[in-house]
Amino acid sequence: MRHLRAALARIAGLFTGRRADDDLRAELQAHLDMETDEYIRRGMDPAEARRQALLASGGLTQAAEAVREQRGLPLIESVAADVRYAVRALRRSPGFATVVVITLGLGIGANTAIFSVVRGVLLRPLPHKGGDRLVYLRHSIDGPGRGNIQFSVPEVGDLRAGAPSLAGIAEYSPWFATLHGTDGAVRIEVGLVTGNYFEIMGLAPVLGRLTHPGDDGTGVPPVMVLTHEFWMRHFGGDSGIVGRQVRLGSKSATVIGVVQPAPYFPDRVDAFLNMVISDHHLSALMVLDRTHRMTEIVARLAPGATLEQARAEVAAAFARMQSQHRAAYDPVSHHRLAVTQFKAVLGERARLTLWLLMGAAAFVLIISAANVANLTLMRGVRREHELVVRAALGAGVARLRRLLLVENLVLAFLGAALGVVIATSGIGLLVAFAERYSPRAGEIRLDAWVLGFALALSVLVALLLSFVASLPREGAFASWIAGGGHRVNGSLGSRLLQRGLVVAQVAVSVVLLAGAGLLTRTMMQLSEVETGLVTEDVLTLPVPLFDFTRMDFTSDGATKQLYERMRLELLALPGVIEVGVGSTMPLRTSMLAFDVTAEGRPPAPGEATPHADLRSASPEYFRAAGIPLLKGREFAPTDRPGSGRVAIVNQTLAETFFPGEDPLGKRIAFTGDVLRFTPISGELRTIVGVVGNTQDGGLDAEPRAVVFAPFAQELAILGGLVIRAESDASDLAATATRIVRRMAPESPIENVLTVAQIKDQSVAPRRLNAALVSSFGILAVIIAAVGIAGVLAFSVGARTTEIGIRMSLGADSGRVQRMILGEGGVLLAIGLVLGVAGAFVAARVIRELLFGVEPHDPATFIGVTAMMAAIGLGACWIPALRASRIDPAITMRVQ
Amino acid sequence: MAEKLDVKQGTLALMILRTLEVLGPLHGYGIARRIEETSKNRLTLNYGTLYPALLKLEQEGFATAEWRQSENNRRAKYYSLTAAGRRQLAREAREWHRTADLIAAFLAPRREAP
Repeated sequence: MRHLRAALARIAGLFTGRRADDDLRAELQAHLDMETDEYIRRGMDPAEARRQALLASGGLTQAAEAVREQRGLPLIESVAADVRYAVRALRRSPGFATVVVITLGLGIGANTAIFSVVRGVLLRPLPHKGGDRLVYLRHSIDGPGRGNIQFSVPEVGDLRAGAPSLAGIAEYSPWFATLHGTDGAVRIEVGLVTGNYFEIMGLAPVLGRLTHPGDDGTGVPPVMVLTHEFWMRHFGGDSGIVGRQVRLGSKSATVIGVVQPAPYFPDRVDAFLNMVISDHHLSALMVLDRTHRMTEIVARLAPGATLEQARAEVAAAFARMQSQHRAAYDPVSHHRLAVTQFKAVLGERARLTLWLLMGAAAFVLIISAANVANLTLMRGVRREHELVVRAALGAGVARLRRLLLVENLVLAFLGAALGVVIATSGIGLLVAFAERYSPRAGEIRLDAWVLGFALALSVLVALLLSFVASLPREGAFASWIAGGGHRVNGSLGSRLLQRGLVVAQVAVSVVLLAGAGLLTRTMMQLSEVETGLVTEDVLTLPVPLFDFTRMDFTSDGATKQLYERMRLELLALPGVIEVGVGSTMPLRTSMLAFDVTAEGRPPAPGEATPHADLRSASPEYFRAAGIPLLKGREFAPTDRPGSGRVAIVNQTLAETFFPGEDPLGKRIAFTGDVLRFTPISGELRTIVGVVGNTQDGGLDAEPRAVVFAPFAQELAILGGLVIRAESDASDLAATATRIVRRMAPESPIENVLTVAQIKDQSVAPRRLNAALVSSFGILAVIIAAVGIAGVLAFSVGARTTEIGIRMSLGADSGRVQRMILGEGGVLLAIGLVLGVAGAFVAARVIRELLFGVEPHDPATFIGVTAMMAAIGLGACWIPALRASRIDPAITMRVQ
Repeated sequence: MAEKLDVKQGTLALMILRTLEVLGPLHGYGIARRIEETSKNRLTLNYGTLYPALLKLEQEGFATAEWRQSENNRRAKYYSLTAAGRRQLAREAREWHRTADLIAAFLAPRREAP
């Protein structure tokens, strides 16, 4: 009660300040008068009496301040006063305030934006219920492109039985389907899942229901669950979708629900179906064959089980499988099974790049904070006089410190506000960027955490800034006040700090520039990689005709005829030079890859069987795609079904099997477990030609071994057209697409791109990397240049008199210029040396992101150093020039 | 001259309340003089200590203040005890005695030496 009453009185006191102040003054005055009267009565003369009374009072102003503190809520009141004061002070130096707010805004903005990506992609809890209990199992073996060979159904069964710390294992088999709608057909990525999939993943429906174990097995109706993203994109978020029948190839399924938004791995998915939709997934082959691996698994840790337990159990189960089924685990391939947190797997591709960017952004913030610190120091020196006056008027060190802190907080908050605006405008771009690295890009947003991060940064910056300004220690106050703050050139300590900050700025800029340089060179090297094709001006047009839900090969002849008719029709277009048909477009990875043996050459013991991609091609394909024929002949119309099987191999395959020999006429065959599940023949094929390597596995990948088969001799499971034109091939895209759509109205025609465009797409992520780090680097350099110029200008200002004296004693302007340049040059040189050293370390960290350029690429390092030196000297020049124009007569007079 | 002592906030409030109880309504100067005299000048009260304490008592409702004419014809702010102030004084005094007895007992020379 008493406290409440006191609190209310205090709150009221906030508003009755002025009247109460008058009252208080009168009261204190009365006290003083009465005490004076008393002294006079005791016989003092009036002047002495008053002096004694004042001495006894302990200071009227201080007393009034103490009462004021008791009256209202002192902290709020004085902070409000501080804020008012800070705003007023900043308004008096708008130039300073603007520069600081913009500098901090850029620094905080860059960090906030990148942090929003780091949070969305790496840190944010998964949307899955109990998402941190989800683990991903990855089965891999040696060899390129074999980092994830998936699991077979019997293997999944062994894991279920052998790892009790996994509470459940959800199976997910990536598949694709053609969805027929009113507006044509689209190719969709689907996952064929077991009924327990959603329960284990911890996902809930936003509409309808999800699959359950009752949807497993044969004899159930096919059901489909849409991902949230596909539902929005393709069905416009239509809530009437549940219960609708959709046609998938030649089959149909019922849409039963829409699942909440969530990231998927390893592929993005449009919809989930139960296994019954695919005849293949119910076949004995799929269900019983241990080496028929086409299932991804995600498991949930049992309550109380740890990741380590799960790892140990899975490893034991896997070892048992390998010893019981030796035939299924070729020892030279080194089968491995890794258990990773699902969350970690989702972030694995983004992690390095994101931390790189976060580091770059942090560097930018360091530089901007250093710049602001320098500005504050200089301003602090100019303000010393003002602070002295305030101290003389009764402000303690703590109060002065608080004043500075409030002022810096005002600046930093304004900077953070600007930063958040900058981050908001950049977030769309960043989401597009992150989509290339992470399935979680959709979760990037400026949430409370990100805003809190920006706020925390600004508070941190403000705290740091408040403590760089030099205030005397409490005891040394009097001498500070007595000195009157005439030392306009600042203390030695703060001057050293200023110079240290400039050195740090230069160093950090060099590190950023070097990173930017290396990533830019990487991007350039990558786009200069020869694709292996003689021209990039080739239009590719994938035309899927085969129905994967049915796996029916009886219409293969008709399919091939349709491709041939398309080929002829496109060839008849004006300006078209050549059209070829092939299973896979140039620069795209083949879906089919098998072990290969050469006749009479068993692999040496301990050597893994070589692996090669299978691509099929019509006779015209090589000419149309611009793949150079190095030896032998192209396919001929006579290479037909029934005639002897022939093959054209690429250079890599020829060198692998026949080093130093002529491969023509030699015979090779596909072999291995995987082949048995496919309609691909294991018969011997005679090599009739050798073609050049093309960068099908990516521009930065080693070329893969490839076997081309005549299109006519393989089943047309995959297919597409390659068009070479006289002029710009991209001009043909619309016409060609229209023709093909007319001839195959059931087929989704997508990704009609020229080879140049495909190549460009594969360079794009690196280009974005380089662009982001480069913009950070440029930002850093600009801020650092301003910093150097500012500090030197300040130094010139402080040394005006000295320079004036020097000039009046005979120093010419050139000498003065050299003096100032020398001052800046030393800082620059130290910064450059430290920066290069830092860049060497940083380059090693980002080694994995580089391509075609050494982490310590001398050209980059020399170029960056020269650039920074030139910009730094340029920044020194302006104050140096100003110094040389000092008129000694004027400076002497001013003194 | 005796050693000067600092006044502790809580005890100062008690002294003020007691002064007002004994002397009736009084201005700040009078209160200060009375406390200094009672302490035989071992305590000195500067304004910065006294007036915040008075204001605090006012805020807590233990004292009220009004401007009056003083005996030697000066206008001064007179503080007087409220009913709540009296109760508070009684309570505080009791507390204080109890604490003082306790501390005294603690610090008393030990009689039964081993």
